[in-house]
Amino acid sequence: MEKEELLRQIADAVVEMEEDTVEELAQQSLTAGIDAYETIDLGLAKGMERAGQLFDEEEYFVPELLMCSDAMNVGIDVLKPHLKSENVSKKGKVVIGVVEGDTHDIGKNLVRLMMETGGFEVLDLGRDIPPAEFVSKAEEYGADIIGIATLMTTTMPGMKEVVDILANKGIRDKYKVIVGGGPISPAFAKKIGADGYARNAADAVKVAEKLLGNTDLALGA
Amino acid sequence: MDVLSPKERLLRSLKGEAVDRAPVICPGGMMNSAIVDVMKNHGNVLPDGHRDSKIMADLALDVQADTGFENVGIPFCMTVEAEALGSDIDFGTLKCEPKIAKEIFPSVKDVIYKADDALVKSPRAGTVFQAIYNAAGHSPDIPVIGSITGPLSTAASVVDPMNFLKELRKVKDESHRFVDYVTNQLIGYARYMVDNGASVISIADPTATGEILGPRMFGDYAVVYINKLVDAIHEMGVPVIVHICGRMQAVTHHIANLHADAISVDALVSLKKLKEAYPQLTTMGNLSTFLLEFGEEPNIQRGTEQLIRDEINILAPACGLSTSTPLSNIQTFTGAAKAV
Repeated sequence: MEKEELLRQIADAVVEMEEDTVEELAQQSLTAGIDAYETIDLGLAKGMERAGQLFDEEEYFVPELLMCSDAMNVGIDVLKPHLKSENVSKKGKVVIGVVEGDTHDIGKNLVRLMMETGGFEVLDLGRDIPPAEFVSKAEEYGADIIGIATLMTTTMPGMKEVVDILANKGIRDKYKVIVGGGPISPAFAKKIGADGYARNAADAVKVAEKLLGNTDLALGA
Repeated sequence: MDVLSPKERLLRSLKGEAVDRAPVICPGGMMNSAIVDVMKNHGNVLPDGHRDSKIMADLALDVQADTGFENVGIPFCMTVEAEALGSDIDFGTLKCEPKIAKEIFPSVKDVIYKADDALVKSPRAGTVFQAIYNAAGHSPDIPVIGSITGPLSTAASVVDPMNFLKELRKVKDESHRFVDYVTNQLIGYARYMVDNGASVISIADPTATGEILGPRMFGDYAVVYINKLVDAIHEMGVPVIVHICGRMQAVTHHIANLHADAISVDALVSLKKLKEAYPQLTTMGNLSTFLLEFGEEPNIQRGTEQLIRDEINILAPACGLSTSTPLSNIQTFTGAAKAV
């Protein structure tokens, strides 16, 4: 099979949530001598990107996106031992978490998934995270981006607190702050002084890329 | 002067019968209205009230008296069901509601099924039943609403939610068996609530949203099991409110298939448009809880008046209230609703 054809089939199998097919094709790619990084980048990640698009277009929903990710991970498990370390280049470092008081982390998990697939290094703080911890972990980790999620209106003020803590410590400019989640709007993001608003997991990757590319389009202004 | 008691008004509204004005309520459970201001006024506080039936009933009555909501709502959280089925609960603080600390099973394939009466025999369910009994005896004109966490949200509080959502597609037979089991537990829970004096049951199922499940899974699971629960409660002779969270475009066509007596929705949804699309629906909602927490009183007044102009059948907050919502803002809301 041609290389391009094989990579396309791998991407399709990710979109179709076919774990067994992904595993088999990933093995084939190694036998054919295709570089493991290339198979991940142009096969698996491409498929996941398309799954993200389908999610954005409301063709796929959370169960489908998670199953695509499982299929992708099966492929990554096959290919990872064959990766040459020099071609691991990352777009940036992200710390991400759900604000204190909120234990709904499905959305945040999706964002982590899509960010990792999109080439970011992600430190997932988990759920129910106090504002000060977002800041201390970002400092420790050397993050470029702080991603804050909430599903509940009750915890929205915690997002502002993160921004305020950064400002008080005089380190606001070191980080791009992206907020998102059910009750969050672009207007709210602006109001609390965040740098970006992400509508959903697929959008979060685009917003992060824009912000690190130093454009100020991320608030959809 | 009001000609109908709050209970008559709510029950008539749920039957689609004529009323003098729309009732203004807050069902409890996910839509908890036990705010800090009320707890400080009277000294009946959370988290103690989650496990003590006297405090639970007294606090629910305090909330009703202070806020002006025309119902008593019990309990104040969404963890009673999952705790009874085995999950670990963090009871939170006065300001912060309880939450699931850890779901007990990683997968639907790992579930250890308990006896059908496990939920109703659990200590916290007992607390809830006793509190409902006390509150219902206190004031016969005020309806007591028993609040239940819906089948999918309870299921996703007992099995790890990320796995659960995948397994709805991947392991269908076992997923159906599990959600059906949860639903049967909830039916028993509702029956004891009704037997102890609840005159309305409200089901909130925030995992069962169009945004999370998409139209197919919503149809295959949410509609099926919510309806099974609603039908069973109807057989007890009691009306049911179902609250659907989040944006609804993906599943609007399923909403008319729900057997609920009223559909309550989030602030993001236009109830006016929903009414236009499905005139037979009894609509409930949906004043923004963000507005209630941070808004100015004139804006809350205007928002309420808009809901009345749109002929929303039952006025209510759009979602759970923040515990730091000012009491005066809620009073503005209920006052405007009653000023018609």
